[in-house]
Amino acid sequence: MASENIKQQNNEDYEIDTLTNDRLIKDHVYDGIRELDNDLPPWWKWLFYITIVFAVVYLIRLFVFHSDDLVQDREYANEMKNVAAAKASESTTPAAEFKVELLTDDASLAAGQETWTKICAACHLADGGGLVGPNMTDDYWIHGNTPQDLFNIVTNGIIEKGMLPYKDQLSNEKRMEVVSYILVKLHGTTPANPKEPQGEKY
Amino acid sequence: MELQKFTYDNKLSRLFLYATVFWGIIAMLVGLTIAFELIFPRMSGGIEWLVFSRLRPLHTNGAIFAFVGNGIFLAVYYSTPRLLKTPMYSKTLGCINFWGWQLVILLAAITYPLGLSQSKEYAELIWPIDVLVTIIWVVFGLNLIMTMVKRRVKHIYVAIWFYIATWVTVAVLYIVNNLQIPTSFLHSYPVYAGIQDALVQWWYGHNAVAFFLTTPILGMMYYFVPKASNRPIYSYKLSIIHFWALIFLYIWAGPHHLLYSALPDWAQALGVTFSIMLIAPSWGGMINGLLTLRGAWDKVREDPVLKMFVVGVTAYGMSTFEGPMLSLKTVNALSHFTDWTIAHVHIGTLGWNSMLNFGMIYWLAPRLFKTKLWSTKLANVHFWIATTGMLFFSIPLYFAAFTQALMWKQFTPEGYLAYPNFLETVTQILPMYYLRAFGGTLYVTGAILFIVNVWKTAAAGKFVRYEEDAAPAKQTPKHKEGIHRRLEGKPLQFTVVALIVILIGGMIEIIPMYLVKSNVPTIASVKPYTPLELEGRDIYVNEGCYLCHSQMIRPFRSEVERYGEYTKAGETVYDRPFQFGSKRTGPDLAREGVKSLPNYKPNSWHYNHMLDPQKLNAESIMPPYPWLIENDLDVSNLSSKIRVLTNLGTPYPEGYADGQALADLNAQAKEITSDLKNAGIEVESNKQIIALIAYLQRLGVDLYNGNSQTSQLSNQ
Repeated sequence: MASENIKQQNNEDYEIDTLTNDRLIKDHVYDGIRELDNDLPPWWKWLFYITIVFAVVYLIRLFVFHSDDLVQDREYANEMKNVAAAKASESTTPAAEFKVELLTDDASLAAGQETWTKICAACHLADGGGLVGPNMTDDYWIHGNTPQDLFNIVTNGIIEKGMLPYKDQLSNEKRMEVVSYILVKLHGTTPANPKEPQGEKY
Repeated sequence: MELQKFTYDNKLSRLFLYATVFWGIIAMLVGLTIAFELIFPRMSGGIEWLVFSRLRPLHTNGAIFAFVGNGIFLAVYYSTPRLLKTPMYSKTLGCINFWGWQLVILLAAITYPLGLSQSKEYAELIWPIDVLVTIIWVVFGLNLIMTMVKRRVKHIYVAIWFYIATWVTVAVLYIVNNLQIPTSFLHSYPVYAGIQDALVQWWYGHNAVAFFLTTPILGMMYYFVPKASNRPIYSYKLSIIHFWALIFLYIWAGPHHLLYSALPDWAQALGVTFSIMLIAPSWGGMINGLLTLRGAWDKVREDPVLKMFVVGVTAYGMSTFEGPMLSLKTVNALSHFTDWTIAHVHIGTLGWNSMLNFGMIYWLAPRLFKTKLWSTKLANVHFWIATTGMLFFSIPLYFAAFTQALMWKQFTPEGYLAYPNFLETVTQILPMYYLRAFGGTLYVTGAILFIVNVWKTAAAGKFVRYEEDAAPAKQTPKHKEGIHRRLEGKPLQFTVVALIVILIGGMIEIIPMYLVKSNVPTIASVKPYTPLELEGRDIYVNEGCYLCHSQMIRPFRSEVERYGEYTKAGETVYDRPFQFGSKRTGPDLAREGVKSLPNYKPNSWHYNHMLDPQKLNAESIMPPYPWLIENDLDVSNLSSKIRVLTNLGTPYPEGYADGQALADLNAQAKEITSDLKNAGIEVESNKQIIALIAYLQRLGVDLYNGNSQTSQLSNQ
């Protein structure tokens, strides 16, 4: 056995650790700390080799083959292409063709309230009293008060005044629900700190 | 062989031990405070020096540089003389090292709450303190190297290799990352901008983890584990291979903090691949630590010191497997910006760093005070509380991270974001934040037991100031040695070789980012900040907004829909420092100012929101910043700032610093003030809030101004 030979050849350089039967290197003593002469564990070596192979393959895929999943712009373009294809296959009604109709059933109004609390309340406050955006409970309206007026505002926003368009964030139905919630439920209530009236009285 | 007598002085070991214990509990208490601030956002009560964004750097820097830092010095000052059989070279240098380091910590603890920060993660200290850190670090290195020169033992032991690597690399990292031009005694701009600054910062940040939180702790492990277990090191060969592989590979891995950012693909790929190649070298350390305990496992069952070492080293192994996994782009797409990062680093700090520190001190205290540990039972209790606390801390955050990341990416069948309101994703994971705070409370409780135990041990024993030892003079080896063994006999050459090895990766990554133009493609419409926006940005930087708000939209459909067109390298060229951030506790702000995007808010919203975030969003966990409305904007430094930026290459018109800049600043402030007035808000135009609003409204705008294709994209 080759390893047996080596052991015998260098015997004087080593001692045997009695607890593990491994070889201690004789002249390695540091403040009483000894060192064993064990080889690298084979599984550890293989782990190291595999990660190196992974790295080499990875870099070749990027630098030589410019793989789609490693070139960032292309990965993004592909994701968006798939989305566009999916969107085209579905037929969502454009906002202009959507039939605006005030909803009064409890389920729609509750859904509208949920959207209101999550999104609109950030500027109009949860009770509709207004802070950054106008008060929605009083009889004064800046841009009209018909369901169609409100639907248009929520859809396209009033960007110069800070009202955002929600056509890309909320579906036609969701927007209709929240408009209905405003007109049916919120309007006419008494908020804690109402903002002063803005716009014209209707 | 004639034995030479000499004496170890334990004075500095004791001082560093006390400092480690003291700063440890402080850093943990600050951490616990900010964990609660995330649940109770109004806890800071509108007091500026208690707000999350100012305390968070105090916690991270406290844990890293004060707790772990003093622990490292303790390990080095105790073990080096014993391993080299000579006292430390200079008591004076040692004292300067100790008191200088405490001064740095004290200054950090003062400046962060005052809102003085560079806002580069773990490099937040302002420039005068950076200079002090550098001086102290050089003093430390000088003392270490001169002790090696004076040694009686021919070969340096593996623990010392790690100390050497720590010293040279931290010196290089710290100096290069902090190159900056002062504009005043308290403020400076980095010489790097935007994406280049980001690369340098994460080369530093990642390797602060590598060379401040890993290599010196491995050195600590290599001394104290065999000492405490009285067992030989498992494999000398493994020590050699994993040491060199670790320090060579680690330095390359920094870009994995910038995956899917505007960093070029090639740099990201180096970050990914070198992180994966780090698994084995890291585990080499773990194996050498754990297998050293072969034949001593019966002791591990009883001895709290060894128990802590075992959990610590195991946590190291877990963490260094998790890290490379997080570096895979597919995993990172999910994990980045979430609490996963926070959970990951705490396995490292609470598990690896703290457990090793605790174990070391439980072993050292009885020896420094020549007595038994006051209570082994209490130390065992500490061990169990700490381990449980660590799990309670991390596991909920993994849940939180998965939940939130999936919510961010979720679309409805109609193609809308399922959770367009960012806040909803925060409210969802808040229960996990409660559990985290509970885990933190457990961990701190354990640390208090630790202090009591150390205190009682010190009180019961008598401090051993001087220890006698004897060793023969340095011998020349009798027979021919292998190449590495020869290097171990030449510590100065060893240091130089280590320096060369750690320089390679950093240079290959950083230099091309400067020399190759295509890495940062210019965008014509991107213009420098106006003076008011610049002052606003400096407020944003000082307050540490980046700790919760990223400015880096990744090229994913879910992010582009939520925040707007993804961030381009060319957009960041005037950002000194860059403010990409690495955690989204709040939404990304990279395109906050773009009016056509969902995140846009009018000036009055920002005003109200800074004053009282919960008034606008009852469930918001943003703390109030009312002082921004009360405090005047200090413009005394403006011309100096403009001058420094002009020198660094920002194309302000000639002579802009003299007068015109201030006039422009005032004009823009008046505009914003009058807009606020129209919205019913009366505020003077010289308040800080005006500058901050100006900055927020500028964010991300330039790309949309210049690129019709982009504006079409977002209007679709």
